[in-house]
Formats: sequence, structure tokens, C-alpha cells
Amino acid sequence: MPICKDIVVLGVEKKSVAKLQEERTVRKICALDEHVCMAFAGLTADARIVINRARVECQSHRLTVEDPVTVEYITRYIATLKQRYTQSNGRRPFGISALIVGFDYDGTPRLYQTDPSGTYHAWKANAIGRSAKTVREFLEKNYTDEAIAGDNEAIKLAIKALLEVVQSGGKNIELAVIRRNQPLKSKEIETLVAEIEKEKEEEAEKKKQKKST
Amino acid sequence: MATFFGEVVSVYSRAVEEDDEEELEEPEEDEEIRRELEERREVRLQWSADVGEMLSSGAARLPCSHLILAVGSNAARFLSVFVLHSANWDSVGHAAFWNEMTQTASGQAGPEAGCVFYRNKDSPSVLICQMTSYIAEDQLFQWTEKVFGCLQQRALNVTVLCDSPVAEYKSPDYVSSSSVPFLRSLQTSACSGTGPRSGTAPCPPLEQPNIVTGLPAAVLSYCQVHHIPAIAYQCYSDVISPDSITMETYKPVLTRLGKVIQLEPLPNADVLRKFVTAADCRSNLYI
Repeated sequence: MPICKDIVVLGVEKKSVAKLQEERTVRKICALDEHVCMAFAGLTADARIVINRARVECQSHRLTVEDPVTVEYITRYIATLKQRYTQSNGRRPFGISALIVGFDYDGTPRLYQTDPSGTYHAWKANAIGRSAKTVREFLEKNYTDEAIAGDNEAIKLAIKALLEVVQSGGKNIELAVIRRNQPLKSKEIETLVAEIEKEKEEEAEKKKQKKST
Repeated sequence: MATFFGEVVSVYSRAVEEDDEEELEEPEEDEEIRRELEERREVRLQWSADVGEMLSSGAARLPCSHLILAVGSNAARFLSVFVLHSANWDSVGHAAFWNEMTQTASGQAGPEAGCVFYRNKDSPSVLICQMTSYIAEDQLFQWTEKVFGCLQQRALNVTVLCDSPVAEYKSPDYVSSSSVPFLRSLQTSACSGTGPRSGTAPCPPLEQPNIVTGLPAAVLSYCQVHHIPAIAYQCYSDVISPDSITMETYKPVLTRLGKVIQLEPLPNADVLRKFVTAADCRSNLYI
């Protein structure tokens, strides 16, 4: 998901839940600390363990060093944990990929991706999970300075990228935004999705007019 | 024979007596159980009235120029979403069978049945078969022989679409997640000029040591023996449930059959949503 100068946007496709299941207990985005959050794809139970360990480490770091973790530090901690499980007997690797986002104390936005092997890399925009390739290709084409010039533009880019692969349209997209010095907030996207669809229709009409003239 | 201590011991002969008749007689109870099991596991084809009438007249077989068989949830749902939702297709029959993995009792017809046959109204020699149930090893050849026994085999072309998990794909090269899903094909020797070795193939041939198993393998073996041109397209995917990206991987296969089958350019959204949502809700293992 894309980084702008002042915000980082995390967008996920909501998992379809059974009728009697509480939707709010099935979440792909979680906060590790006030300024860092994580979105994951893969085995739910493995994700729970990794998140718990990361949260404890964030608080432990605050207590011992009296500073909040940097995004790179907690990513390295999670990646090291995952790597350890690839090299131990009697254990299996964690079956999750994660996107860890946040702001460092100097105000720089960061986005890191980890995978089950324990590698981690920094990204400007990325996608994980089902159809990640399609979303990543969309972001590669459309991640321009203009597209991330402002907060709204970055959010729209994330929604457009997800709309490429989400099978039931905007109502299955959940968006979370993290701003500098502000905690994670989920974003209402219905109006934005409507705006994007209107823009698409206008573009399609312009193309038709060009073809006819 | 003399032993170590000097006493003589008689030795039993180790010669095999070929007395097979006694061994073949099994107790009646066992025979009855075996017969009941065989009856229970029998594959029964049930055709619609007009097709049944044609087949029961003795020498007649169903005229068929193209048989497209879809095995697996993504292959079957691909046909449902891109081809079968139009009004051009009639359901003409289904195969009923029971094994330990089937959830419903045998003989259930309708859209929920595990194996359904469709015929094109405009070109009645084009048949589609969707197989979504598990068919056991002992039933594979039974199914194949019964189905092909009903079809006219002269000028018949068979296309098989099947799913496979990418974890079972063996390759010396690293299979990155960006290349999944992908197609591989395997054909009988009767195919010429249309398969992977020609320039028009939609995908490369299946490399060794990968194999095709199950119903696609049974159908290909039958076609190889009877010199029927048949190609199986195996789609390796990292998703186990119906998924639109995996379904779209099959598109190039049917685009080549464009004269025979009309393929919708875009998937039917309602049908797709129904299949994908139903699959998603079932498992909480992955998120």
C-alpha cells in the first residue's frame, strides 16, 4: 500500500464472514504500537502469535530505551523471529507475509514487507496476499509523484489498486490511514469509491467521444 | 534331513501346489459384501429424456465433436462464469456415484450434482462436463468407459481443464509467486498441429517429472488407447478455493475454441460472487 509524505495508507479486502460470525473479530490490520501498524496475509493463528510478540517487544523497547521503536527495528525483530523458525528442528515457518507501516520519530513514513523466510525490504508501495501481483503491477504503473501529491490522492490510489482485484466492489474494502503523530484510523471509503467510479465513467465517456470524432 | 544332534527330522516340502480352485472360493458372506460394495460404488449415468431415448435405441451414440471436461473447482467455476450462464446451454445429464468423500447421496440431479453434462443448443455436438465431486480411483475408469461409450468417437476432440496446487509442481527453477497461476498442457499422440509443439499452443507442455493424476489422467489414457485427440490443461494455482484470477488463466484455452464455444469477454459478476463468497466463508484458517 502506498506511502505519501504525510500519511501511509493500508488497504485490505475484507474477508467474507459467515452469517453468525462477528465481523469485527476478523481483521487483517492491527496496531503494534501507537505509531506502527501491520497488515498480514496468511495463516490467522500464526499472525496472532507474531503480533503478540511484536507488541510485547514494542513496549519492552519503550521501557528499556525510553524511545518508541522505529519501524525498521520492529520489522527486523519480526523478520528475525520468522527466520529463527526456518532454522529450528521440530518447528515450521510462520505462514504469514506482513506489511509493517508507520512513522519514525523523525517523521519519515516507512513501509516494510516481510515474508515467511524472514527477509524484509523497504517499499514505497506494495501488496501481499491473493492477486498481489496484479495490485503491484497497478501500483508500479500508477505510483507517480502526482498520484501521491496529497492525502486524498494517496488514499484514492490505494482504493483504485484494490478495486482491480476485489471481487465484490468497494463494500469489501477496508482502509486504514496512519498519519504523523496520530494513531491508526480506519477510513470511510464509500464516498471515495463513488468518486472513483464517477471519474472512471467520465474517462470512459471522453474516450468514446474521442473515438467518434 | 539330519540335524546337528544326529536325529532325523522329516522336512516339509516347499513345492507350491497349484491348487487355485480352493483358494478362489471365498465365503458367501464376503462375496455378498463385495458385491454390495461394487453396486454401491457403481457409476450411473442419467441422461435427459431425449438423449436417453437416443442411446437406448441400441447402436446410436450421442454425436459429439468436442467434449470439454472441467475437473476441479476453479476449472468448473470458470466454465460456469464465462460460458454456461448464457441461455445457450442445456443440462442433458449427470453422473451419480458414491464414495467415501461424497457428501450427498448418489442420484442427486440439478445444479448441486457433482458431475453434470451440458449441451450447446446451437451446436448440439459440443458437450461440456463439469466435475466438482471427488471420484475415487476405482471409479475413474468406470466413469471414463461409460461416458465415452455413450459418445460417438469418430472426429471427437477432447479438452480437459484441471486444477492442481502449485506445491505439487516440480521444477529446477524457482517458481516465484508472481508467475502463479500458470498453465501446462499434456496431449495424446493423436493431436497434431494443435498442441504445445505447434506455434499456436496457449501454454508450454508439462515438464518432467510432473504428472497428471485422477480423472484427467484416466481420460487421457483412454483417448491415447483409442486414438482420440485429447489435450489436458493443468492450471497450477496457489489458491485452493474458486478465485477469479485462477479462472481467468483458462481463458486462452477456450479462446482457441472460439468457433465452437462462445466465451464471454468478462465474467458474469453475480455467478462469480456467488461461488467466491461461498468458498470464502467456509474457512477461518486463512485471512
